[in-house]
Amino acid sequence: MLYALTVPGPIPDVEEVRVLEWHGQVGRAFEIGDLVVELETHKALVEVRAGQAGILRAIHCAEGDWQVVGRPLAVLSDGPDEALPSSPDELTALAVDFEVS
Amino acid sequence: MSALDLLADMLRIRAFEAVLVSRRDHGFQLLSSGAEAVAVGVAAALTREDQLLTSGRSIGPALARGLDPGRVMAELLGKASGTNRGKGGRGHLAQPSEGFFGAHAVVGGNLTIAAGVALSFQVRQIPAVAVCIFGDGACAAGALHETLNLAAIWKLPLVLVCDNNQMAVSTPRADALAPAALSDLAAPFGLPHATVDGTDVLSVSEAMRAYVARARSGGGAAFLECLSERFYSHSSSTRETRSAAEMAVVKTRCPIERLAAHLLDAGDLDAEALARMRSEAHEAAVAAMAFAEAAPFPDAAEALTDVL
Amino acid sequence: MSSDIQPATTKIFFREAIARAMREAMRDDPRVVLLGQDVGPFGGSYKEFVGLSATFGPTRVRDTPVAEEAMIGLGVGAAAAGLRPVVSITYMDFLMLGLDPLVNYAAKARFKTGGQIRTPLVVKTTAGAKGQGVAHSQCLEAWLMSVPGLKVVAPSTPADAYGLLKAAMLEDGPVVFMDHKRLFPTAGEVPVAEGHVPIGKAIVRRAGTDVTLATHSYMTRIALEAAEALDRLGVSCEVIDLRSLAPLDIETIAQSAARTGALVTLEEGQLTCGVGVEILFQVLERTGPIATARVGALPAPVSSNPVLEAAALPDADRVITAIRRLLESSRPGKS
Repeated sequence: MLYALTVPGPIPDVEEVRVLEWHGQVGRAFEIGDLVVELETHKALVEVRAGQAGILRAIHCAEGDWQVVGRPLAVLSDGPDEALPSSPDELTALAVDFEVS
Repeated sequence: MSALDLLADMLRIRAFEAVLVSRRDHGFQLLSSGAEAVAVGVAAALTREDQLLTSGRSIGPALARGLDPGRVMAELLGKASGTNRGKGGRGHLAQPSEGFFGAHAVVGGNLTIAAGVALSFQVRQIPAVAVCIFGDGACAAGALHETLNLAAIWKLPLVLVCDNNQMAVSTPRADALAPAALSDLAAPFGLPHATVDGTDVLSVSEAMRAYVARARSGGGAAFLECLSERFYSHSSSTRETRSAAEMAVVKTRCPIERLAAHLLDAGDLDAEALARMRSEAHEAAVAAMAFAEAAPFPDAAEALTDVL
Repeated sequence: MSSDIQPATTKIFFREAIARAMREAMRDDPRVVLLGQDVGPFGGSYKEFVGLSATFGPTRVRDTPVAEEAMIGLGVGAAAAGLRPVVSITYMDFLMLGLDPLVNYAAKARFKTGGQIRTPLVVKTTAGAKGQGVAHSQCLEAWLMSVPGLKVVAPSTPADAYGLLKAAMLEDGPVVFMDHKRLFPTAGEVPVAEGHVPIGKAIVRRAGTDVTLATHSYMTRIALEAAEALDRLGVSCEVIDLRSLAPLDIETIAQSAARTGALVTLEEGQLTCGVGVEILFQVLERTGPIATARVGALPAPVSSNPVLEAAALPDADRVITAIRRLLESSRPGKS
C-alpha cells in the first residue's frame, strides 16, 4: 500500500513550513520511530518520525522547498515495487510522530 | 592651563552673563554664574577630540569649551549667526566640531545621549571621552541609573559630572534627593566617584583629569559631584525663592573670588592685573553682545529647514 | 507601468527578511550596530537576528539590560556621534519608555543644531495583538506620525520588511520600523538581488474599482481577505498598503479614491487621532467630498483573553460590513 507523508499539524500559528533535511534517500526503509524529515517553521524545528514502517519512494518537496500543513511531502510504500500514482494527493496519510522544538 | 587662564575663563563667563542679563530684552536664560569653576574645571581636563554635553544651563560650559562668545550670544538671542543658526536657542547650544556636543534642556535628557557618544568612541576605537554635566535635579531621573548601569557594564569612556547647585528650580536638594552625597549614586555600580568643592576650580580640574585619563585609557566611566552655587534664580524669568540673607551667604562662595584671593596671596597675581582681567572679560562680553545685536534673525522659512 | 521581466525571488520567512537586511547592512557599513534585549546569541525574540552575533561579534551586536530609555538614548547619542545604530525595542508598548530621547532629541537634533548633528537611528519594534494583553499589544504608530523629524515605516510582507529596513538604515535621521507579531509566522517571496524599498511609497496590493481600502502592517492581510470576500459579493475593492506612515504617500491613495469614489481606512490601532483619520482628511483635501469610513480597534484596552482580544480588533467581517454599509448609503443599489 502507498502512503503520503504530509506536513503534520496542527502547529500553533504555522500554515507553511520549509523542508530542512531529509534523513535518507529514495529507497530507504524506515522503521517506526526513525527520523524521516526535519521541517522549519517561522521559529521552530519540526522532527517528523515514522509512525509505521515504510519505504521512501518519492520526494515531492526537496530541501529548501515549502509546503503547507496537511499537504504531501513524499510518498512511502509497504513494498519496494508498488507502482507510484501520478499524484500523491489521494493517498492515505502515513502515520507519523512529530515534535516541535 | 595655568591657574591664571582658569581665572580668565571664569571671569569671561561671569562678564558674559552680566552683559546678557543687562540687556533689557534678554528672554528666558539659564545662567551659570556661581558655577563657573565647574564649567572651567571640567573643560580644562578635556582635549579637542573629547565631547562635552550639558544640561540646559550651558553658557558657562560652552564658553569654557572655547566656543566663540559672539556666536554663543547670537544663539541665545535667536540670531542666524548663532552656533545653531539661531534654531536651538538657550538650552540647546551646540558646536560638535569644537568638542561641545551640546546642551539639551530636558533635565537628565543628555545623560543617555552622552553615553551613546561614548559608545560611538568605543566602537570606533577613538581615544576620546564624553563628559556630561547635569544638575542635581537630574539625579532623581531614572535615566541616570540606566546610564550608570550601562556605562559600568560596557566600561564606556564617559565621565558624569553633577553640577550640584543644590536647587531644582525652587526645590532644595535636601527635599528632593535621599542620598547623603549624590556621588554615592555611582557606588553600587562600582564606578569611581567623588564629591569636590565645585567653587574650587583647581579641585574640579584635578579630579576631572584623573577620571578623564582613566576613561581615555579604557578604564571606564566615573562620577564627579561638584558642590556649586547658583547666583541667579533658576532662570532669568523665574522669581528667586531664597531670602536676601540666604543669597548673601551663597554669594560668599564665589569661585572667582576664591581663586583670585588664592593667586593674590601666592603672589601670582596683583590687584592691577586682576582689574585688567576683569576689564578684558567685560570688553569681550560687550563685543559678543555687539556681534549678536548686529546679527539678523533667521528667515521665517528656516522653520522648515533641517527638519527631516 | 509593469515590466514583463520579473526579478528573481526566493521565498523566506518574515524574520529571515529582517535578518538578511541586517546582515547586508552590517557587512556593508561598519557603523551599523545592533542594540537590544536578547538580540545577541539568543537571536531576537522572533529569531529575526539569528546569526548576527556570531558573524559580527559582541561589539556590534549588543545585548542590553531592560532599560528602554537608555537603549534608545544610547542609540541616539551613538548615531549623533557617527554610528548607525539599530535599536530593537521588543514590543511597541515599551517604546513609551524611550520616547524622550527619540522624540525630544533624535527627531529634533538636526533642526535644533542648525544641521550640525544628524541621528541616523533605526528603532525596530514589534506591534500588534497576539494574546499578550493590555501592555503588550498596542499599535502606537499614529502617535509617532505627528512628530516632525521622525519617519515611520510598517511593512506587511517579507519583501517590504527587507527593503524598508535596508532603506531605513540608509536614512540620515531617525526611523521607527514597526513590524507585527502576526507577521512573523508568514513567509513570502523576496528579490534575490540586494536593494531597498523607498520610504514614502505606498503600494496597490489589489486593484479594484468600487472602493479604496487603505491600510498597513498586518491589517493588509485582513484587508486582502475582506477584498476577496467582497469580490464574491460583486464589490471590487482596491487595497493599498501604506508601507510608510511618515511620510505618507497621500497621492497614491488620493488617486485611487478619486477613481473609486469611496475610501475606507483600516488600522489595528485606535481610531481617535489615528492613521485613518489623518489619511481621510488629507485625501478629502485633495479630492473634495467622497464616501468615507474608517475601521479600527474598539476604544478599549486589548485583553489577553481571546474572546475580548478578538472583540476589540478589526477583522475581515467588520471591514466587509463597513464597506457594504458605506456603499449602500452612498450608492444605493450597489452591494
